[in-house]
Amino acid sequence: MRTSRLFVLIASLALLTVLSLSAAAQSEPIVIDFYYPSAIGDNVATIMDRYVAQFEEANPGIDINPVYAGSYTQTRDTIQTELNGGGAGPDVAVMLSTDLLSFIEEGHILPVQSYIDAGDDPAAWVGDFFPALLLNSYDADGALWSVPFQRSTPILYYNADMLAEAGYAEAPKNRDELLEIAQALTLPNGERWGLLVPFAGGFPIWMFQSFAIASGRNIVGDTFTDVYLSDPAVVSAAEFSRALGTEYGVGPVGGSVWGDTPTAFIAGQAAMIYHTTGSLTRILNEAPFQVGVGYLPSGPAGADGTGYGAPTGGGNLYIFNPVGQERSQEELDAAWQWVTFLSSPEVQADWGAATGYVAARVSAWDLDPLKSLAAEKPQYGVARDQLAFASREFTSYRAIDTQNIINTTLSAIISGAEPDAAAALASAQEQIDALLAEYK
Amino acid sequence: MRNTGDTAGRGTWLLTGAAAIIWMLPLIFAVLVSFRPQAEPVSIGNIFFGSRITLDNYAAAWNIAPWGWHYVNSILFVVGVLAVQIVTVTMAGYAFARLRFAGRGLLLVLILLQLMIPTAALLAQNFATIRTLGLYDTRWALMMPYWGSAFGVLLMRQTFRGVPLEFEEAARIDGANWWQIMRSVYIPLALPAYIAFALVSISSHWNEFLWPFIVTRTEEVRPLTVGLNKLYSTTELGALYGQLMAGTLMVIAPLVVLFMLFQRRFLESFASSGLK
Amino acid sequence: MKPALRHPPLFKKEPPMQDTALTASKAVSLPWSRRLLRMAFPYLLIAPTLILVFIFTLYPAANAVIDSLYSIPRSAREAPVFVGLGNYADLFTPDHFIGATFTLVIGNTLFFAVTSVLFSVPLSLGFALLLNQRMPLLGVWRFGIFYPALLPLIGAASIWAFLFSDTVGLINTVLRSLGGTTVNWLGDPNLVLISVTIVNIWKQAGYYMIFYLAGLQNIPRELYEAAALDGAHGWGMFSSITLPLLRRTSLFVLVVNFIFAFQTVEQLQALGQGNPGDRGTLLLYLIFKTIPERRNWGYVNAMTVILVLLLLTFTIANFFLFERGREDADA
Repeated sequence: MRTSRLFVLIASLALLTVLSLSAAAQSEPIVIDFYYPSAIGDNVATIMDRYVAQFEEANPGIDINPVYAGSYTQTRDTIQTELNGGGAGPDVAVMLSTDLLSFIEEGHILPVQSYIDAGDDPAAWVGDFFPALLLNSYDADGALWSVPFQRSTPILYYNADMLAEAGYAEAPKNRDELLEIAQALTLPNGERWGLLVPFAGGFPIWMFQSFAIASGRNIVGDTFTDVYLSDPAVVSAAEFSRALGTEYGVGPVGGSVWGDTPTAFIAGQAAMIYHTTGSLTRILNEAPFQVGVGYLPSGPAGADGTGYGAPTGGGNLYIFNPVGQERSQEELDAAWQWVTFLSSPEVQADWGAATGYVAARVSAWDLDPLKSLAAEKPQYGVARDQLAFASREFTSYRAIDTQNIINTTLSAIISGAEPDAAAALASAQEQIDALLAEYK
Repeated sequence: MRNTGDTAGRGTWLLTGAAAIIWMLPLIFAVLVSFRPQAEPVSIGNIFFGSRITLDNYAAAWNIAPWGWHYVNSILFVVGVLAVQIVTVTMAGYAFARLRFAGRGLLLVLILLQLMIPTAALLAQNFATIRTLGLYDTRWALMMPYWGSAFGVLLMRQTFRGVPLEFEEAARIDGANWWQIMRSVYIPLALPAYIAFALVSISSHWNEFLWPFIVTRTEEVRPLTVGLNKLYSTTELGALYGQLMAGTLMVIAPLVVLFMLFQRRFLESFASSGLK
Repeated sequence: MKPALRHPPLFKKEPPMQDTALTASKAVSLPWSRRLLRMAFPYLLIAPTLILVFIFTLYPAANAVIDSLYSIPRSAREAPVFVGLGNYADLFTPDHFIGATFTLVIGNTLFFAVTSVLFSVPLSLGFALLLNQRMPLLGVWRFGIFYPALLPLIGAASIWAFLFSDTVGLINTVLRSLGGTTVNWLGDPNLVLISVTIVNIWKQAGYYMIFYLAGLQNIPRELYEAAALDGAHGWGMFSSITLPLLRRTSLFVLVVNFIFAFQTVEQLQALGQGNPGDRGTLLLYLIFKTIPERRNWGYVNAMTVILVLLLLTFTIANFFLFERGREDADA
């Protein structure tokens, strides 16, 4: 009995192998493993499967294998673990735009500049992206490595009903107006906050960059070794960030928790919040009041544009060609095809409307469904228009370490754990300078 | 102090119930929040219930992942781990509890190192091992590193040491071999410990995330925690507590049933072990 | 077959270990192959566990120890440089980027581990004693204490993030409605570590209760009956019978609890992410934050080695203290 069952098992396994081998021999499609993180609640997999189906129909011979890879951090850690453990890793992945230098240094990724140059009209292809969204795509030599896909930027959300009730018809344009409205709308003991800025948690750097830029000095310069933490404008921005909680009392000391901020806003517990454009769709769907969206108010640097400003954020497309795991030319070409498809105006218009990310292509805004959405809900256009003032998101060589240093220092200052902002920032600057010395 | 089978007085009962209810408050509110409309956090309106009771959070949580596959994989994962562990920890636990051999202390320490070494630093190397074995992206890859359990070996060592040696000697005089001694003396007497170990092994592997996540990439071989992770990492939208709670409750529901079945054994095992 | 089970005399000293599993008297006359088998027997029992632990823990850990002596250069194409104990020295250099936080984090972790053990061990024993009696709704009460152990770390942490939340959280909502002052559980630098520790105690107490419950099943009723005849009751019985006979369980719980306090880390992702100012960062979380940069692997391995040495010292010290002077303790 047992023997015969075993025989059947072996025979069917053998048959399966033969079948699958012959099937492979017939077509031999190129398989592109595509890792993507998800930071939105909807079933991204369904949307992604739709794009895969469209692409595969247009490109017979290429199979896309989409892999959900967790949060951005988890995606990066998974890829690192696989490559360090001798695995092949993905062929294309969506990763934070700020991860660029780490991946270049580790020899994991391929620059796409040569593909762009080989295209029909390189200048037009690049020029159709919002320039601010490409600021984190170039290396020190000006070659382009990563292509914008799911991008975001912080904006100001305000409860228009609440502001109108207090006699404010418009969103605050500068820091004085911001403070005035916030203080007027704050109720005691956290019953209602005037302004929530999500500084709390492990990632205050992104929100803080808005304040530093508004104070006149982005904390990152044009090269990957320029970090400006001890600049007086940056110190004053840090002190202002802390004062929002400690001195003006318009928000909790240390800032609000990232995830709770939109929830509190929707519940009417905050008159204004700073948050990512990524939460726009949810807020518009759930808020039982008129939602206003504005530029982040300008700071002391002036309202002429220099005082406006926000960093960009979100994920870019990377093509992988790791050292020791080099791909064939056909595979790289197929990967580029897929990257071109995902960053095309058509997909960007669909993706932006479906998720709330800022469509990275200028021409995508003239295509449906994004075009009609932006016409129907003008709030979507604000984030796009603010991109004109947007600056580079913080990155540098050894970005993991420099970000850790800055995040810890900022949260210590803003929470009040570290009373001397100037000294704390100077010490962080010293640590970073020591780390980056070999790159200068 | 009282022992198994004693009936508690009213004062003790009240004390126990009060402690348990305090401990359960987070769960009670997790359940309440999971049935509350997403746009109504507890700070709005009635603290217990929203304006209506809704299943929307469960529907949204259910739609985010192939939960059917995730349940199958989690069950295969924990059963596959526990079945092998029971064998390995019984063998090693007995050896460390009752046998004398050269290097015993050192070997025990070497095994206990498994408890102490954080897996984070070993992930890449273990991934390489699984890849070399050709098991990447299979259910075997999930289970294999957990088949040897220092935790279980230590628990069984401690338990077997508590078994009076006379029992083993009596069995041996009757001509029992090692396996018969294990079956008739040690395993029955250690039954409560086995149940405790099973509970703990099942619940901890049911909730294991990082390793299963890294060694698989096909949704159809991934366990429940990967689905839950999707709900958790909705950072662009902010914390959707209702969906998170709904997802968490969906994930632990089978464990709750299992616990209610197992926990009875902590009153009955003593009686059934033959000791009276 | 079922041997006659009699209970041994009370409080008899535990008999010495045996030389082998089977009776030694017969061994002399056995052929060499059988004797060899007998000598190998303990090792055969251990082998499966040992081999698995070797493959997935010991071998990679040995590599980690070696790698902790190397520094990784800028280019991925260059070989690591031997730096001796340089990585360890950096960890304790206050103005070095990693040394600036390492000593703070070690302090946090010790506070977290010691406080967790101090509260959750007595709590779990207390819960086990209460829940080892027959009473109405026993299953529900047991579930009420144990269920936190069933929750995935990230799920448990999310529930507490909701309870602790400054604006939309349950605790502050209740405090506000009662007219009290709200508390910034995760945002106050002096409070965040305590909040994280509370969650750990809540999650672990039921877990260890299970082992105490299991331990209590093995204490024979006769002991209590005999002691009652001698006039003992209440605290006397507890301290003379229950506690000593739970000695092995207590050693297990203490050691495992302390070690696990160093290993649980995922919950921090939802509970403050180590901030403000690293006041809530635990050692393993620091490792998670540092490991994505390839050039930090020397530090990661050095931190791992220090962590293991710390736990090893604690564990061996406990075995020594608990089993010293007992005949079953000759390791």
